[in-house]
Amino acid sequence: MKKELEAIQAAALEALKDVKTADVLESLRIEYFGRRGKLTDVMKGMGQLSKEERPLIGKLANEVRASLTEAFEETKNALESKQQEQQLNTEAVDITLPGRKPAYGKAHPVMQTLERIDAIFTQMGFQVVTGPEVETEHYNFDALNTPSDHPARDLHDTFYLTDGNLLRTHTSPVQIRAMENQKPPLRIIVPGKAYRVDYDVSHTPMFHQVEGLLVDRHVTFSELKGVLVSFARQMFGDQTQMRFRPHFFPFTEPSAEADISCTVCRGKGCRSCGHTGWIEILGAGAVDPEVFRAVNYDPEEVTGFAFGMGVERIANLQFRIPDIRTFYENDLRFLQQF
Amino acid sequence: MNVTLNWLKNYIDFDFSAHDLADRLTMLGIEVESVKELGAALQGVVVGKVNSIRPHPNADKLVLCQVDIGGQDALQIVCGAPNVCEGMFAPVATIGAELPSGITIKQAKLRGEESHGMLCSEKELGISDDAAGLMELSSDISVGTPLAEALGLEDTVFELEITPNRPDCLSMIGVAREIRAETGNELKLPEVNIHENDTDITEATSVTIDAPDLCPRYAARVIRGVKIGESPAWLKQRLESVGIGIINNIVDATNFVLMEYGQPLHAFDYHKLGENRIVVRRAAEGEQITTLDEEERKLTPDMLVIADANKPVALAGVMGGYDSEITETTSDVLLESANFQPASIRATAKKLGMHTEASYRFERGADPEAVIPALDRATQLIVELAGGTVCEGTIDVYPGKSELLKIQLRPDRVNFILGTSLEAAEIEQILYRLGFGIETSQSEDSSYQVTVPTFRGDITREIDLIEEIARVHGYDNIPTTLPKGDIPVPVPDISVEVRKRIKQFLLGSGMMEAVNYSFNHPNCFDKVRLAADNPLRDALRLRNPLSPEMSILRTTLLPSLLDNAQHNHNHQINNIALFEMSSVFMRGEEPGRVAGILAGEIGGGVYGNPYKNPDFFDIKGIVERLLEVCCITDYAFQKTEEPTFHPGRNAAVSFGNTLIGIFGEAHPEVLENYELPYKAYLFELDLEALADAADFSKRFEPIPIYPSVQRDLAIVVDFGMQSDTPIEIIYATGGDLVKSVRLFDVYVGDQVSEGKKSLAYTITYHSATETLTDKAVNDLHDKVVNRLGKELGAELRM
Repeated sequence: MKKELEAIQAAALEALKDVKTADVLESLRIEYFGRRGKLTDVMKGMGQLSKEERPLIGKLANEVRASLTEAFEETKNALESKQQEQQLNTEAVDITLPGRKPAYGKAHPVMQTLERIDAIFTQMGFQVVTGPEVETEHYNFDALNTPSDHPARDLHDTFYLTDGNLLRTHTSPVQIRAMENQKPPLRIIVPGKAYRVDYDVSHTPMFHQVEGLLVDRHVTFSELKGVLVSFARQMFGDQTQMRFRPHFFPFTEPSAEADISCTVCRGKGCRSCGHTGWIEILGAGAVDPEVFRAVNYDPEEVTGFAFGMGVERIANLQFRIPDIRTFYENDLRFLQQF
Repeated sequence: MNVTLNWLKNYIDFDFSAHDLADRLTMLGIEVESVKELGAALQGVVVGKVNSIRPHPNADKLVLCQVDIGGQDALQIVCGAPNVCEGMFAPVATIGAELPSGITIKQAKLRGEESHGMLCSEKELGISDDAAGLMELSSDISVGTPLAEALGLEDTVFELEITPNRPDCLSMIGVAREIRAETGNELKLPEVNIHENDTDITEATSVTIDAPDLCPRYAARVIRGVKIGESPAWLKQRLESVGIGIINNIVDATNFVLMEYGQPLHAFDYHKLGENRIVVRRAAEGEQITTLDEEERKLTPDMLVIADANKPVALAGVMGGYDSEITETTSDVLLESANFQPASIRATAKKLGMHTEASYRFERGADPEAVIPALDRATQLIVELAGGTVCEGTIDVYPGKSELLKIQLRPDRVNFILGTSLEAAEIEQILYRLGFGIETSQSEDSSYQVTVPTFRGDITREIDLIEEIARVHGYDNIPTTLPKGDIPVPVPDISVEVRKRIKQFLLGSGMMEAVNYSFNHPNCFDKVRLAADNPLRDALRLRNPLSPEMSILRTTLLPSLLDNAQHNHNHQINNIALFEMSSVFMRGEEPGRVAGILAGEIGGGVYGNPYKNPDFFDIKGIVERLLEVCCITDYAFQKTEEPTFHPGRNAAVSFGNTLIGIFGEAHPEVLENYELPYKAYLFELDLEALADAADFSKRFEPIPIYPSVQRDLAIVVDFGMQSDTPIEIIYATGGDLVKSVRLFDVYVGDQVSEGKKSLAYTITYHSATETLTDKAVNDLHDKVVNRLGKELGAELRM
């Protein structure tokens, strides 16, 4: 019987070597382990063995059984992993086929720039406020210390409406509206559209500005510089240099224009900056006492500063669009780029 | 305005380089827009001396010259000019020089003889039209000197941007004053000596000012026996260097003084003045004048004119009259130097569209105290250039003479405003250099009484003085600090949040943000087929539009987006998904709107994600999700008759009774009007209404702990039934136990009878308090089916 067991074991192991499929493995399993299987049959003969022989043969039979079970298991595992491998192989894709990109739109480049500017000032404690685009002479000019015979009005080519109102030429009227509505301290920025009669490669009749106003009991010109230098470094990079030049605006005194070191040549001088190394980005100044009087603030009690910048101009420092009218064609080939 | 380096140096000493001067002026607030080197055209042209001449062996008309240009060896130059002679000094264009005529000088062989340059005529150098012979130069110039330098043509021109508050800088002396503020060097004003004849000017003429409010000062001199002619080279060169045209010696002299002092002057032909006298008055109704530019001008009584006894002879402060201008035959000149009220000149210039050097200065404010120095300076120049004698005395009518303005200045206030710590001495020095008078006041606050010179009409207040101090001290020398004040607490504004969320959502849904002009063409309302009585047609109009396309303010964003679709389609871009958020313009208000368009193809257009044509349900989905993003749930959709839209494919959005917007498929005629060959889907919603309805306050809702049960239900109903009618009944029947109802199929076809359709829903049943048993769900579901049958005639589809 011992011989028989050893023969079965050898035959089974031999047979397993040729197994290629799960079906064959199963029939082989039945051939040996089934109710009428070869191993089962041998085990049935155990009863006829002598008392001495029985434990020995029993042990041997168990060993054969265990080793065959293990061999079957191994074969099964091998078959399965082979099968999985085959399946994975057939599932391989051409990874160069196009991905299914979820749709995703893009904000308008001028709005992207405007939102960056807003974010920088908001983080410095400025609150965003807005105001009407159709304005009166009073808010757009008179209250901003620009009476009708003032030569500074020539600088603003104004769109007038047939009803006598006008399209604001800057976002500055919102300074006046804000001061009329609020008591100091004020720390606001006013992003928005403004309009001037101008239409060429560097001017659009509608453009965007961000206006800023800070009013408190003791605000200095040095703080104006501080806020704007901080803005410029955040907006244009921490290596950015800024210079302030005296200028004239009817509603600020002292007034300044601020330049940043050229973003192309870093101040060395190039075509972009007209070889000066500087690029003008904004106008600013201490709030003129006449403006405070126009809103019933006492210029001896409060001081302040205001600034205003053109968003298209700043956007274009980055984007370098040769004709800024392109901004408002809304050509998708253009909008996709930003 | 243009100034030149050499011209400025006549009035003040400084040794800045051109670049340095440009920089300093800019930092003083006089922005230098460009810097141009004059004489650059004569680069490579030097002064040479013709040492010797010998005949050209192969040409009769040419000679061989040995020319000394200061180098080691004399150059051999072939020359054919008739006036060439030994010992002559003449300009030599050296090898490589590019002449204004476009010729580049090369080493050449002329009839077999080497020529190392070219001896030049004035014409060849672009100096004059004289081509008769070589330009003869003075023999006291050393050979080798660049010609531009030798002729004094070397100069640097600065183009300045003078802000409207600084008319005092519209002259050489004015800019020199700024350099004085920078350097502290004193001004060198021209010395004027006039030899007068025996005739008293009052015998020759008189000046009457009938409008003293518009003419604070009028002064005149009379010069007799002048000879009109060409101005000398130095004068022409000065004027040309700053871009002023050359006329004749008298007019050129007045223009020179205009540039020197900033005081506009006018020379009349004395004999063309009726009764040889001047009356300054307002124009009479219906009066006319032909101005120097030979244009006939109709005058109105608000305009100030200079008249003789009978008629206007000049438009005061703007332009002289044609009939009294200086001509070749003029012998006697009445020279005007006056001051006019800025607003009046500004109004006249604007009304007549005449912007001259004179009006430019007067409308900004000229210095009344420059009237006499400029008059005398011009008189002197005229006599120098044109001969003649000056009548004795000056007529000077000065009704507008006023006291010098004095302003109190508190030094503490200077530092308070600027954030500086300037010493009193620094402040005093700056004011002194700017020409202000300073007295220390007796009061305790150590303030100053500052006297403002007449040329600084822009300085009227303490703050103006503070700006002057800041300017000269240098903005760059003011410290840079951060605000010390408290940060005001912002008022929360839900509309900002609503806009932000909507924009994020629309971008996330694949739409691109458009920004359009606020303008539109009035015909846009017809193009989108607005009803004749639609209030959106009542748009604000521009009085001075750039073009008809930009002549009204838009009341709806949809036409702009359709324009964008058309533009893109015309450029073969057809995956149109755009939105815009902007105000529109109603009378008296500017409500915010959000609008969008889907047209052409959406999707990736690639294998696995093909293009698809958008349909009604794409735009509806966007609107639904947008409302969801604003946390708005109680809205309703209803079909409308809006002519912009397909009558069967549109819906208005409302909350309660408030209409807040509309969406749908554009009407085929609208598509035609915008030349779109495919359908377009539009929406436009009122941002203010969305902000009013939005509610971002959120509270946690427990996640269900009991399982839910799903049952599908397909019913056959009348074809015309809206798909949400059964849903309402399902909710009404199941109450809280119906968690959701989803329509997952709509079928019309062979499987259902004509006039019917099948709607298939998935109903999710759920209880918050227990696990629903099969029986409970089945009973409820049966109830739903029964009620749908009873109320809608719905048959269960098997």
